[in-house]
Amino acid sequence: MIEERASTHVYRQKRMFTKEELEAREHLCVHEQPPYCNAACPLKLDTKAMIAAVSAGDFDRALALYDKITPFPHILCALCEAPCEGKCKLHEVGEGVSIRELETAALRFGAPPKKRGLLRKKNKKAAIFGGDLFTLFLAGELCRKMYPVTVFCQQDGYAAFLRACASGMPEEILAASEQTLSRMDITFVWNTDPAEAFAEKNASFDLRCAAYDTAQLLFPGLAVDEAVMVCREHRLITGRTQGVLGAAFGAKKAALSADRLAQNLDPANTRGEEGSVETRLYTSLDGVSPSQRIPCTDRASAVAEAKRCIQCRCEECIKGCAYLQHYKKFPRILTREIYNNVSIIMGDHMMNKPINACSLCGQCSVLCPNGYDMAEVCHIARQNMVTTGKMPLAPHEFALMDMLFSNDEAFLCRPQPGYAQCKYVFFPGCQATAIAPATVRAAYLDLCQRLEGGVALMLGCCGAICDWAGRYEMYDDTVKFLDEQLARLGNPTVITGCPTCKKQLSSHAQLEIHGIWEILEAIGVPEKAKRLEKPVAVHDACGARGDKATQQSIRRIAESLGCQVTQTPYEGDKSPCCGYGGLTQYTNREVAKEMTDKCLERSDLPYLSYCMACRDRFAREGRESMHLLELVYGTSADHCPDISAKRYNRLSLKHHLLEEIWNEEVIAMDLGFTVAYTPEAEAMMDDRMILKTDVIRVLQSLRQTGEAIREENSGLLLTRARLGNVTFWVKYEEVDGGYRVHRAYSHRMNIVNRL
Amino acid sequence: MAEKNYYTIDPDGKLTCMKCGVRLEKGKAKFLYLDNGFPVELPVCPKCGFIYVPEELALGKVLSVEKALEDK
Repeated sequence: MIEERASTHVYRQKRMFTKEELEAREHLCVHEQPPYCNAACPLKLDTKAMIAAVSAGDFDRALALYDKITPFPHILCALCEAPCEGKCKLHEVGEGVSIRELETAALRFGAPPKKRGLLRKKNKKAAIFGGDLFTLFLAGELCRKMYPVTVFCQQDGYAAFLRACASGMPEEILAASEQTLSRMDITFVWNTDPAEAFAEKNASFDLRCAAYDTAQLLFPGLAVDEAVMVCREHRLITGRTQGVLGAAFGAKKAALSADRLAQNLDPANTRGEEGSVETRLYTSLDGVSPSQRIPCTDRASAVAEAKRCIQCRCEECIKGCAYLQHYKKFPRILTREIYNNVSIIMGDHMMNKPINACSLCGQCSVLCPNGYDMAEVCHIARQNMVTTGKMPLAPHEFALMDMLFSNDEAFLCRPQPGYAQCKYVFFPGCQATAIAPATVRAAYLDLCQRLEGGVALMLGCCGAICDWAGRYEMYDDTVKFLDEQLARLGNPTVITGCPTCKKQLSSHAQLEIHGIWEILEAIGVPEKAKRLEKPVAVHDACGARGDKATQQSIRRIAESLGCQVTQTPYEGDKSPCCGYGGLTQYTNREVAKEMTDKCLERSDLPYLSYCMACRDRFAREGRESMHLLELVYGTSADHCPDISAKRYNRLSLKHHLLEEIWNEEVIAMDLGFTVAYTPEAEAMMDDRMILKTDVIRVLQSLRQTGEAIREENSGLLLTRARLGNVTFWVKYEEVDGGYRVHRAYSHRMNIVNRL
Repeated sequence: MAEKNYYTIDPDGKLTCMKCGVRLEKGKAKFLYLDNGFPVELPVCPKCGFIYVPEELALGKVLSVEKALEDK
């Protein structure tokens, strides 16, 4: 029995990571980095969203997004240098998207956005002296920020003012901008010399702004801090800018400085990130074919051009992983939520399920361009919660009990008869013995026959189960136990039947460890090996991730047996988990099934695996599925054995081999009564993780206590027993010499009488 | 003040204790889990105290409370 945690009222806490480590891990995830076009724009236009809007035919939204970055979209669009276009990722495979043409299309076909909500005018007044492109944009920016703005200029009206500011502008742009300008709540004082106006009026304004020429006239040789567009000496907002983008960006910076000055703060105070930035985004161009620009002459062609945009984003890990797809979260946010889940002292741990649903397969660390390892985060979280007593036992208990069964009742460790110490030990793994006992037997007999120096046998679990559950103390005990057993055998070379066992044992046993596939390559496959002359998809086990030698060895053996190994997406190191790894099969069946489906969607061919758990899960989904050793030894695994059959297989293999090879008589225990199950009961028990041995123990308890009740309606009897942390109920009828079980269920809560 | 009961089932005379040969009656019981207690009224044998937890209760409310407590 494994001790259940004592109480929910445990207020222990242990941090998973230091703040620096958490940030360093989060920094690896580039999912939230801006796309290349957006990063290049100093005005931070949400280019990707704007193009998506055009692509959906929503020109109104596209214009609203564009309008957000500037008060004069027509002027900006007409003259913008468009640094975004040069950064378009599509340039790497063809022509980049014509972003400026799409902006023009948004202006042409989109309805101007409605006025923003009713904001109150600010009480600090702003004055702008002189007209140039910078002050034009600044007037618009300050007006949007609800400052009362007064512009002093030499011109006599909007048209003349705009012409002076934006010389060389086409007439239709000027006309559109005149309309925009005239609708703004800006007071113009026409026909005024800006320098004279400054001398007379500047004292009556809180914020003073000037065109650069005017500022030079007023204060010859003035020094301007271009980063904030302020001459600190004269508390004057001004600056020299180049081009329309420079003017628009300068005006944005200046408007932010106006905010700071209005609050009597230093203009450099808390400004955040301004201007264009370097992005760390990664975007795969796999499957993107080269295409050419489409001139945007009408709505349809603009939509077609926008549809060329690949909406740059990094989702490499999510694309390959059913777990991340299920929770719809990318690693950075998932890590932060898991970190918070582990850190809370009281309250609901909302992320326990995601923590326990990861298969810990490590595929993400291979798919991510920066090697983000979500598996490690989930594994550390599990260990952390075990340490603090916050990890519930329920999700993992069945698997842990199964492991204890493998390393106790079903455990076997014997040298080959005739050898006091052996050169080798065969360690087939708990899943091979549970699913394909005949194959394990054939493999062992073959190795004994063809290898010199003696081959011992060790039937048991490598400890992966408790490692995955985060039960590190139990894992240490398992490691110690296995190391002792190996030492008793004289520390022979270990031959594992499973890549996960190979990986687990390699981490502690200071021994030579080989997969059976390596031995088979060296000594050749047995003569009776079954040939399979057809195309197959090889599914690489997650235990063999990073082990190219194993992956290639499996393929060579498969090909030597006639298999035509076809290439599949996500093969080799990129292979996804079948849903067994990390105990997902026990903790979250829904996610585990999605993982299996993800594996199977890669090919319609029969699947050839070299991990018995993969083989079993694929067969359960109805796919023709086989383990390499089934071919090598011409034996078949059991077809989808239920949880009880898996235990029975392990135990009966042990008993069978003890009798056959070591001539040890195993005395079968006579229960003294028979137990039969209705088909409904068998299916129900498999689904509810109730073993036949559990039912037998309940019935044995019944025979001792006589405690049962009769249901009048059905005439059936009910009894129960508390086995470890669980109460099992069995509904049965008495038959000749025993019982026929109709239903079984369980609960973890204990029930007691109260007065 | 009467003690709160989270759940009540009346056996309606449809259950018989095989050990004592008497019908189960509505009786006081308590679910315990992870240091939390929930008083309930379930069919109980008046002689030996056998408490009956029906399947729909075990797989319904009991399971959901177990899960909620496990994530505390």
